[in-house]
Amino acid sequence: MTAPTPIKKALKPADVEVFAETIGHYFERITGEKALVRTAYLLETEAPPQDDFNGMIIVHGSYQGSVCFAAPRGLLTHVLMRMGQQEYSDADHLDIVGEIANTLAGRARRVLGEGLEITPPHTYTRAGRALPSPASGTPLVIPFTWQIYAAVLVVHLDVLG
Amino acid sequence: MTLKLLIVDDSTVIRNRIARLCQDMRLPCLEIVGLAGDGRQALALAEQFRPQLVTMDLTMPQMDGDECISRIVDRLPETRILVVSALSDKATALKAIKKGAQGFLRKPFSDEQLVESLLELIR
Repeated sequence: MTAPTPIKKALKPADVEVFAETIGHYFERITGEKALVRTAYLLETEAPPQDDFNGMIIVHGSYQGSVCFAAPRGLLTHVLMRMGQQEYSDADHLDIVGEIANTLAGRARRVLGEGLEITPPHTYTRAGRALPSPASGTPLVIPFTWQIYAAVLVVHLDVLG
Repeated sequence: MTLKLLIVDDSTVIRNRIARLCQDMRLPCLEIVGLAGDGRQALALAEQFRPQLVTMDLTMPQMDGDECISRIVDRLPETRILVVSALSDKATALKAIKKGAQGFLRKPFSDEQLVESLLELIR
């Protein structure tokens, strides 16, 4: 006898709000300036947006899918500066984009709970490749701006019921 | 008295930030004896240097922070561990404390929060 296939459900609007709140909180805590989070939208047909640097967290447990943070070099250089970093190599930018992705996904557990199990980040440049997301639903893009820079958090999660 | 500190995080930027803050904020009682990017490295450095204090990330490759805390507590029960993690749910914090960590600091953290948490651990 095979195990029953878990029912997959979409995230609720309140769950999406958690991710938007984590973006605002992150930038305020690290830089002292809030990010302006814009209206989230579903990504029906296009490929998920990528940027100069991308950090992807694979999610399993009670949720299945991925959380991906994509940002331009300039934004990440500012974050590195605010953290007191004195070198700004590609490796440093990849490191911080992965750390931000990890922090945004991890902080969502405050509301979504420990069932949102996350892996260490997979990071890549614009020329690189994302891992395939294990989610089957439609990805949700949360765009935001910080200073003059625009970036996105792509949340692609199924809720297993 | 100087206390030996081991910094464990899979992010080089975060490891450097913690190290720099310990120096810049003038915590003269701390001597950084090692920086580790995963649990296995951390365990090897802990056995080599026998630090009194450890800052410990949880989500890491090779060996995660949970397992690393258990092993350090087994081998060096006097070591005090401050978990510094993005995993913000209460259950994770409680689990880390049960395993033997003495403090839990959520990422993202401010400079002042880190220093305060380290001082709390030293007191």
